[in-house]
Amino acid sequence: MPTTIYRFIVLGLTILAVAVPLSLVIYQAFLTAPFFDPSAKFSFGAFSFVFADDDFWQAFRTTIIVAAGMAAIAVPLGALLAFVMVRTDIPGKHILEPMILIPIFVSAVVVAFGYVVAIGPVGIFSTLAKDVLGFVPWNLYSMTSLVIIAGLTHVPHVYLYSAAALRGLGTDLEEAARISGANPLRVALHVSLPMIMPAILFAGVLVFFLGFELFGLPLVLGDPQDVLVLSTYLYKLTNKLGVPSYQLMAVVVVVIIAITAPLVFMQRLLLRQAQRYVSVRGKGQKSQPLRLHGWRWIALALVVVWLAFTVAVPLSGIALRSFVVTWGEGVKLLDVLTLDHYRELLDYPNVIRGIVNTLGIGVIGGAAAVICYAAIAVAIHRWNSGWTRVVDYIVMVPRAMPGLVAGLALLWVFLFVPFLAPLKSTMFSIWLAYSIVWLAYGMRLISGTLLQVGPELEEAARVAGASDLRAKRDVTVPLIKYGMLASWLLIFLIFVREYSTGIYLLGPGTEVIGSLLVSLWGTGAVDLVSALSVVNVVMIGAGLAVAIRLGVRLHG
Amino acid sequence: MRRTLSALVAVSSFVLATHAQAQTPPGYPADYAALIDAAKKEGKVIVYATTDASSANPLVKDFEALYPGIKVEYSDLNSTELYNRFIAESAAKNGTGDVIWSSAMDLQVKLVNDGLALTYASPEIKALPKWAVWKDAAYGTTYEPIAFVYNKRLVPEADVPKDHTALMKLIEAKPDVYKGKITAYDPERSGVGYLFFNEDIQYFPAAWDLFKAMGKANAKFYTSAGAMMERVASGEHLIAYGVFGSYALARTKKDPNTGIVLPSDFTLVTSRVAFISKAAKNPNAAKLFLDYMLSKRGQTIVEKADLYTLRADVEGEASLTAVSKVIGDRAKPVPIDETLLANLDQTKRLAFLSRWQHAKKGQ
Repeated sequence: MPTTIYRFIVLGLTILAVAVPLSLVIYQAFLTAPFFDPSAKFSFGAFSFVFADDDFWQAFRTTIIVAAGMAAIAVPLGALLAFVMVRTDIPGKHILEPMILIPIFVSAVVVAFGYVVAIGPVGIFSTLAKDVLGFVPWNLYSMTSLVIIAGLTHVPHVYLYSAAALRGLGTDLEEAARISGANPLRVALHVSLPMIMPAILFAGVLVFFLGFELFGLPLVLGDPQDVLVLSTYLYKLTNKLGVPSYQLMAVVVVVIIAITAPLVFMQRLLLRQAQRYVSVRGKGQKSQPLRLHGWRWIALALVVVWLAFTVAVPLSGIALRSFVVTWGEGVKLLDVLTLDHYRELLDYPNVIRGIVNTLGIGVIGGAAAVICYAAIAVAIHRWNSGWTRVVDYIVMVPRAMPGLVAGLALLWVFLFVPFLAPLKSTMFSIWLAYSIVWLAYGMRLISGTLLQVGPELEEAARVAGASDLRAKRDVTVPLIKYGMLASWLLIFLIFVREYSTGIYLLGPGTEVIGSLLVSLWGTGAVDLVSALSVVNVVMIGAGLAVAIRLGVRLHG
Repeated sequence: MRRTLSALVAVSSFVLATHAQAQTPPGYPADYAALIDAAKKEGKVIVYATTDASSANPLVKDFEALYPGIKVEYSDLNSTELYNRFIAESAAKNGTGDVIWSSAMDLQVKLVNDGLALTYASPEIKALPKWAVWKDAAYGTTYEPIAFVYNKRLVPEADVPKDHTALMKLIEAKPDVYKGKITAYDPERSGVGYLFFNEDIQYFPAAWDLFKAMGKANAKFYTSAGAMMERVASGEHLIAYGVFGSYALARTKKDPNTGIVLPSDFTLVTSRVAFISKAAKNPNAAKLFLDYMLSKRGQTIVEKADLYTLRADVEGEASLTAVSKVIGDRAKPVPIDETLLANLDQTKRLAFLSRWQHAKKGQ
């Protein structure tokens, strides 16, 4: 099959998968009623309503601040962390590596709730601080706390992108800098990180996007102070009218897309010269870790402090909550210990199915998604055509929709596209929804790795008589094996943790843990929420340990 | 495979059906056995509900035990998602929930009013309170008092407010103690909150003064009962205003540190509303499930699950009779009828919300 045909088939499917739900949402924004309602008319009414709403503008400003703040914190820290972990002899690397990824395991609602129990106004650590200092020196519910927590919990996203890129990068330039007398920080800032700038920029833009999609953290931490972001504004909007309103939700999504589309354009401008960054050439090389000497303990201390704050604090909070009947001011924790919440889990009919489905969507669904992403990335790789730009834009769009709305749009697709209807209540619908929503994410990781494979390797294969497709299959794909594995790991974690996208597609037999947590939280079953969260964390932790083992072995 | 399965189902339902004729519950019409047969042929009933699956599980299990051969496919969603999903699926006409069971009373009434519900006069109607049945389509299934929840460790007995006026006076009298310590549903962000506050205005003339007092005391407003009760239990807040009695009762049973007050001047009572979808693929099984939920047997389970039964002939802690014993005739059930539609009127809502925004600032 000639490459062009392959390219257009992949391209066509990708565009279809994104454009159908997206166009439904845009179409909906210009109507007066749900699109399937016969009384729906064309109108700008939904836009004028939203733009006249003060709450919208307030949520808009907050979202920009949160997203920018998050990126400002996560990008430098994540990139530096990748450098330290991949390039240096920091102590305890093998223990740290899986730990670093924990913040992306846990659904944000759980992390947020863990923080409430740990450092909320009457949390465990707050009460301790109050005993010592006489007052609580922090306010968990402030905007600043929200930005800091969001930023610190997104460090691993940047880390994963940067580390994958760094691993594919030769170390000769760094060694040269080191020999010339540069200290490790200087090597990182002036040599290594600039070389992986494409990966860092991708990660930065994505973290900014994630800021727009942030839902769990503002839902729990913003609740008491009424801090609204665009995704929680959707809730308030629904309530203004009394009746959930498709067209108003659609308008908010259109606004978010209108903001993010120029960002993608900007990113393309920045990366126009991506070829410059090619660094895996057709020659072998064994890399040496950089000696940090005295710096290694400083580096370790910083990583540990960060981990303590983003992992130990919230997870100890949620774990503690799962073993007690109650907590807070004036409670002696030893008096209220219990195992009942875990026993109750067993009575809960959907839990077992939820756990199995969650693992399935993560392991099998994740692998399937990575294969799809790789197929797309390989198709557009080094294709000098305007179509690549189209794909670059189109993969970003689904991420710009809040997961809940993207899920709703996909429900519409499954409902109103006749041959898809039978698949509606199967795990396939959830898999498709997850894969589309996280398209940008997985694809960027793979294409970031692809960028580092020099064109001369494929050219050599072609000169030796291989067809274009064969060169891709036998040369390029094996070379990005490591990137694909990292990508699978990332997608596994994301799919297992995901909670908002699948809500509209869930039914009996398609439960996943994330959605069970959200529905239980609403009814006040906090006991079960905390126990189920702990089960979830343990489950993913075990899965991750296995993956890391495999990954390390494959790497060696 | 599928053919064998359906053959099996057909055979087994035939066997069971001959058995079931004797089972027609007393007082039910004679042709009810035919309904049971038809339902068994359908073999399942799809329920969309806001009640979480763990609370509803005993109900589901007992129904399946009563009518072997009919499986309940139970999905729990929040009320907005349930509404969105149901209207889209109804329009697409290729399958949706058979029984729609939600605590968002106003949205349920709207769906019935929009013609999406099947008219079906349940044989249980005569055992139900009048306000709980509307147009022979929408049925109230529970009797949940809206309560105050307080922290027993930290609120001294003398402070515990017995009614709405006492709460207002307490907040005003001890601003230092209760500043930031009162919590309620947020009527701006939660449909339930809006409904409760609006009903309060009808029964409590000084409602706006109470809201202002809460605003002055820097009360915190949440979107879920879970968030409120958890924070009252921890002492982050001390008193929660307007919480579903069902959730509160379940919590106090497990956690002796929280207490419940049914305000003695008036106690709102809400009900989870169920109807059968017009687009139901299993209408007969849906009828069976609805009748079962309303029956004495079903309501006994409702009581046990702390959801509060609305039948006068079912006793227990979570029952209409127990609520009446505490507050007598000052229980004010929100009637299931077209007055709830007024709640969805946009002009009225925006007027309320702008007044609320002032009250929230204590003005």
